[in-house]
Amino acid sequence: MVTLKISGVDCYYGSIKALENITFTVREGEIVGILGPNGSGKTTLLRTISRTLKPKVGAVLLDDVNVYKMSFKDAAKNIAVVPQETMFTFDFTSLDVVLMGRHPYIDRFGRESREDLAIAKKAMELTNTSPLADRPVNELSGGEKQLVLIARALAQEPKVLLLDEPTTHLDINHQIEIMDLLREICKAKALIVLAVFHDFNLAARYCDSAILLNRGRIYSIGSIDAVLNTENIRKVFQINAIIKRHPITNQLYVIPLSTLKPNINRATDITIHIICGGGTGAPLMKKLLEQGYFVTAGVLNTLDTDHDVACTLGIPVVSEAPFSPITEENYRANLEMMNKASAIVVTSVPFGYGNLLNLKAATEALERGIPTFVMDEVPIKQRDFTKGEAEKLLLELKRKGAAFVGSEAELLHLVGILEKKLKGSLAEGVQ
Amino acid sequence: MNSSQIEIPYFKRFAKWKIIIILLTLALMLVFIFAVAAGPTQIPPLNTYGIIIKQIPLLGNFVGSELSLTEETIVLQVRLPRVLAAAIVGVALAVAGVVLQGLLRNPMADPYVLGISSGAGLGASLAIVFGAGAPFLGLLYSIPIMAFVFAIGTVLLVYLISKRGEGVPMVTLLLVGMAANSFLLAIISVIKLFSGEAVHAIMAWMFGSLATTNWNHIKMSLPFVMIGVTVIYFFARDLNIMLLGEEQAQNLGVDAERLKKITIASATLITAASVSISGIIGFIGLIIPHMARILVGPDHRILIPSSALSGAIVLILCDTIGRMIVRPAELPVGIITSLLGVPFFIYLIRKKKRPISW
Repeated sequence: MVTLKISGVDCYYGSIKALENITFTVREGEIVGILGPNGSGKTTLLRTISRTLKPKVGAVLLDDVNVYKMSFKDAAKNIAVVPQETMFTFDFTSLDVVLMGRHPYIDRFGRESREDLAIAKKAMELTNTSPLADRPVNELSGGEKQLVLIARALAQEPKVLLLDEPTTHLDINHQIEIMDLLREICKAKALIVLAVFHDFNLAARYCDSAILLNRGRIYSIGSIDAVLNTENIRKVFQINAIIKRHPITNQLYVIPLSTLKPNINRATDITIHIICGGGTGAPLMKKLLEQGYFVTAGVLNTLDTDHDVACTLGIPVVSEAPFSPITEENYRANLEMMNKASAIVVTSVPFGYGNLLNLKAATEALERGIPTFVMDEVPIKQRDFTKGEAEKLLLELKRKGAAFVGSEAELLHLVGILEKKLKGSLAEGVQ
Repeated sequence: MNSSQIEIPYFKRFAKWKIIIILLTLALMLVFIFAVAAGPTQIPPLNTYGIIIKQIPLLGNFVGSELSLTEETIVLQVRLPRVLAAAIVGVALAVAGVVLQGLLRNPMADPYVLGISSGAGLGASLAIVFGAGAPFLGLLYSIPIMAFVFAIGTVLLVYLISKRGEGVPMVTLLLVGMAANSFLLAIISVIKLFSGEAVHAIMAWMFGSLATTNWNHIKMSLPFVMIGVTVIYFFARDLNIMLLGEEQAQNLGVDAERLKKITIASATLITAASVSISGIIGFIGLIIPHMARILVGPDHRILIPSSALSGAIVLILCDTIGRMIVRPAELPVGIITSLLGVPFFIYLIRKKKRPISW
């Protein structure tokens, strides 16, 4: 069983500490993703393992042998690196470049044997680069170059494969092609693969485990499911993100929502309550939050998309049990929440008997003088499943002065006007 | 693509390389014979070769003894060492140019970028003006020895100044080399200003000329050039890989720092050895490597020997033309290399379909 052990590594660029107390172990057949923001030490970690940057403290052990004690050639027989991007400024062919991977095996006074050529050829077959063998490598596309470099790394017959963002500059089809290939090779040849990723989703799809770096330290390490969570992403990357398991692939996927930076453009204490459901409110919640408003929502059924989004965004919400009509109790709670709001928005949500009470609540709030906006992008007839009761309530809202708006932009504009008015009256009050 | 489709063309290339080397060697022999026969004194070509063959043990016995002693002296003591010197210098400059362009990954690099030329120039100027070293050696030998010592000393200094921790960044080396060149050229200019009559001798030396070479010069430079070129050749594959950059080279098992030390030291040694006997001959060390790359490709395993042979051929040709063109006077070989070589080089670049790469 081949194991790569990093124990207590500290690394410096000059006097700047780039890595601190890095310790972990990887076993053969494992793909480990290295994640972290720019400057967190991802590439430095790879360079430390590849012997390019010697650690000041600690050791890199491959099967209990310190890699820094190996000869250059022995190290190259054990550890191969696929760099992020390579500038080729010369006319070597792809085959020449792949054969360079055999350099550690060739005697100083010798040249490539038939065996070396066979190994290079096999590496090119594995990476589907055989047709490129005679092409000058500087004339290849970015994806082709990357595949040739992977072939070169495989020609080294290493135990450890290090990749620095192997797919960053590639199209989605090449990304998948390269990562599928790497996973296949990793399992088939029992390699240790460490790869730096910028793309969480790619990492989640292909890594067995992950290391999340922050400021040169390991912030989190373990299975990809354990490392990729909302809390870690928030702390390390300073963003809110939704992390979900994809229903088809059963893999985690990450959707970044917003940065944590407070909105300083608009210090406002205006709260907007949204009546929504079925995903009709989600985009609006995000927009309003970004504009600096406080947002509340309800009543929403748990499991409803809007409910999920509200929870992820930290929006106070009145929740109802899944697939259940709104209870009297929650109706009251919702009314209470609406009373604190400066405005109510009713989205173009379909109405059934289960959520009809939300419209009643809106009517009540309007009667108490809270401005109410009704979005009718979709005609009510198409989304009324209450035999006309919902339509009747909406007409009543209109009669009592609710503003009907046709688009999100129009709504945001009207909310802006309302905000100015409220601020104005506030100022008058102070005078 | 099946295995033979990759294998056969690949191993064919080694055969192709052999043919290139054989053809270039034949060309060198032809040029060599032509150059020894050419000169202001008319000596029948057959006599020339008779004189040379006579020197070879066993074979010499078959050559007639009716050859004149004057002719023998001219061929053996004047022409032969001079043509040999041209070959040695041509080989050295071309190979050093290949090494430095490869290591610095810079197509503008030549054997002089690290300060060898100006260092040698300073040593030669000091020898010419002050007769430094002359009392024990005589001027004919004090100039090459001073040039050699100063050339090596300059590169050593440039190397030590560029050193950062355990390694030497190549860009730093290049910049320090350029700075050293400027600095030393300024000193040489000062010496020239105050050197009176000797200024002509300094300028002639700086142009590069093979007019005064004799057998001792050959003995002084040949061992260095042979050893240096051999060492460099054995690092040809490493030099290929260095073209990917130092970090990747190390990941492929090349000890980049050690490679730099060995190849720079070798290139310095062979350049210094040749400059010390010929003065500063420009252009060969810059252009021959590019010509060879256009003709045989970037692989140092063929690039080094074909550059070496081409360097020898071109320099012998240029020196012979310099001797013949304005008889009985001579044009320094350094001028001929530029006047004839540059148009030829531009022709090659224009002929090439792809943009030039190295």
